[in-house]
Amino acid sequence: MARADSLAKLAFAYGVHLTRRRLRRPRPQLSSLLRTYAADGIQAIEPAERDRHPRLVTCINCGLCALAGGRVGKTRLPDLASSYMRLYARLGEASSDVEGGSPDLLAAAAVCPVGLPLDEVAAVVRRLSTR
Amino acid sequence: MILSSSQDVVVIGGGVTGAGIARDLSMRGLSVLLLEKGDWGAGTTGASSWMIHGGPRYLEFDWDTTRLSCQDAGHIVTIARNLVYRVVFLIPVLPHDRNNIERMETAMEVYDRFQPLKKAHPHRRLTPAEALQAEPGLAPDLIGAVTMEEWGVDPHRLVFANVQDALAHGARAFNHTRVTELINDGGRVIGVRYQSPDGSISEARARVVVNATGPWSPEVAVMAGVQVHLRPAKGIHLVYPHRISNFSISAESIDGRDLLMVAHGGFTLLGTTDDDFYGDLDSVDVMEDEVNYLIQGIERVFPAIRDYRPVRTTAGVRPTLFKWRRYEDELSRRYEVIDHAAEGADGFVSIVGGKLSMYRLMAEETSDAVCRKLGLQAASTTASRPLPGNESDPTPAAELASRCGIPALAAMKLQTRHGSNAEKVLDEGRTSRLLCRCEPVTEAELIYSTRHEQVRSLADAFRRVGIAAGPCAGAACILRAAEVVGRELGWSASQSFEAAREFVRGAWLGRAPVLGHVGWAQEELAQGSMRGLMVSRGPR
Repeated sequence: MARADSLAKLAFAYGVHLTRRRLRRPRPQLSSLLRTYAADGIQAIEPAERDRHPRLVTCINCGLCALAGGRVGKTRLPDLASSYMRLYARLGEASSDVEGGSPDLLAAAAVCPVGLPLDEVAAVVRRLSTR
Repeated sequence: MILSSSQDVVVIGGGVTGAGIARDLSMRGLSVLLLEKGDWGAGTTGASSWMIHGGPRYLEFDWDTTRLSCQDAGHIVTIARNLVYRVVFLIPVLPHDRNNIERMETAMEVYDRFQPLKKAHPHRRLTPAEALQAEPGLAPDLIGAVTMEEWGVDPHRLVFANVQDALAHGARAFNHTRVTELINDGGRVIGVRYQSPDGSISEARARVVVNATGPWSPEVAVMAGVQVHLRPAKGIHLVYPHRISNFSISAESIDGRDLLMVAHGGFTLLGTTDDDFYGDLDSVDVMEDEVNYLIQGIERVFPAIRDYRPVRTTAGVRPTLFKWRRYEDELSRRYEVIDHAAEGADGFVSIVGGKLSMYRLMAEETSDAVCRKLGLQAASTTASRPLPGNESDPTPAAELASRCGIPALAAMKLQTRHGSNAEKVLDEGRTSRLLCRCEPVTEAELIYSTRHEQVRSLADAFRRVGIAAGPCAGAACILRAAEVVGRELGWSASQSFEAAREFVRGAWLGRAPVLGHVGWAQEELAQGSMRGLMVSRGPR
């Protein structure tokens, strides 16, 4: 009974929806979506970053880059890749951790056993944390 | 000699429902004993999708379930603010999908009526170009997309927050304590016998015994000489140790089921399956074909999924109410409170069915049934009284970080677990050292959890504070964590080492089924790293 009732109500709602779509012109909604969730750190990812993203999250926290490099701001390089990069949202709350100078990221990346491009990781984390 | 105690109610089962019942009853002034054979939330609760959701798919079957679910989700969001966060779904519609874009938007329009109950925003409809702008990884042939908002939650912390509050209201609660027998007396259940972790047997007399053991409830019911009928359903998830997208993504599987790729704090859950389960509830394995089923389903809308490395799997069994229907997925997530008095087991109450999002309501209704049996008039207050850590607003993360000498990210994570109690947690250990750097977790938090949150093993620590939950799966921290927990619990060096090895072995069982997917090369590195750590500490 509940099933029949639910389906009937959905069918009615569908009719109302189709009528409304015919009468009202649809408007773009992406910007309002992103505005709504900006405070939660939910943002669109950029196309170039999307392509590279699988490579940017492969850190296994072996710690070798810490020996070769140093810190981005107050943050050790392995933490940048294994901890900050994996969060992606809400990094704005941790911006103080990555403010400051950077070591030679290319030299640090050269010792990474999984070939993580640390310069790109640092750029993404900094961009997300300053939003 | 058997130790004996007496209380108003014994609750068996330390999942979210059992913990919720213990909280509810103790807040009504009853003396409560809560017993869990494993760790808090280690069964069905922990293997969930980590969501407090309203259940839009139940709109097709039963709007009342959606309404109740949204209503209770709203209560949970209010009392557990530190534990919840918004999860925004993109639901792309592809050619040949079961529902076209108009049907999908209709469902969301209906769902929008319930969204305010759980303090969520209404849906948006995106054109193909807009959807691809929001998430460029979506399949380019999509027809459009709608959005849907739900809440994410750490179910382990949610369970423990309920246990903690029950304890604060006078309850007693023991994990790793197995009920071995129900004490029957002429058609009445008058208590339980249980085995503590040290092997000792105790007896607890009670006026009412509540069976809140989820899929195990038929087994416990048999001890009382009654039957509970379930249709247990297995569900697995793949865990990726990072966000894949800022949006969660919904997809249709090959058999038309809804799959979800959920963006949580620092990880992504991909799930879930829903299959009838007839096996051993204490040993639920993940099969490679289940993994392939999930990846195949998501790949259709998010083709890059195979480029990502899952780090482990979870598997659990839902305590779905019994019904003879063809598809497991169509079964309602409704619940039932059963008073077994009519079956010759007075004083014995079971709560079966339901889901995480409605746990508080299930606990309230079960507690109402218990109170009726005891002739108590007190009403539930769990919908409005905050869980521990939510009594006041937390200090801003950056401020806490600079005051306590830890990274802001660590402070933020700490606050998501402990809310306004975060500073108290840091004070406990008197050290600002980071123990698990992936998560990150401070040593002080692990000390606090071991002392005050009933951590008895490293797997308990994983559930309570997220130790070893990151991409290294414990390679960098598990031995140190074993030392810290061992120091608090009085373990010898070899016991600490054995605890670490047991944790690594357990983690491997959850990871093995997903290694075929980009994983072996990195697994070799991780294993090498793990072995190195162990060798460096000398032979045992």
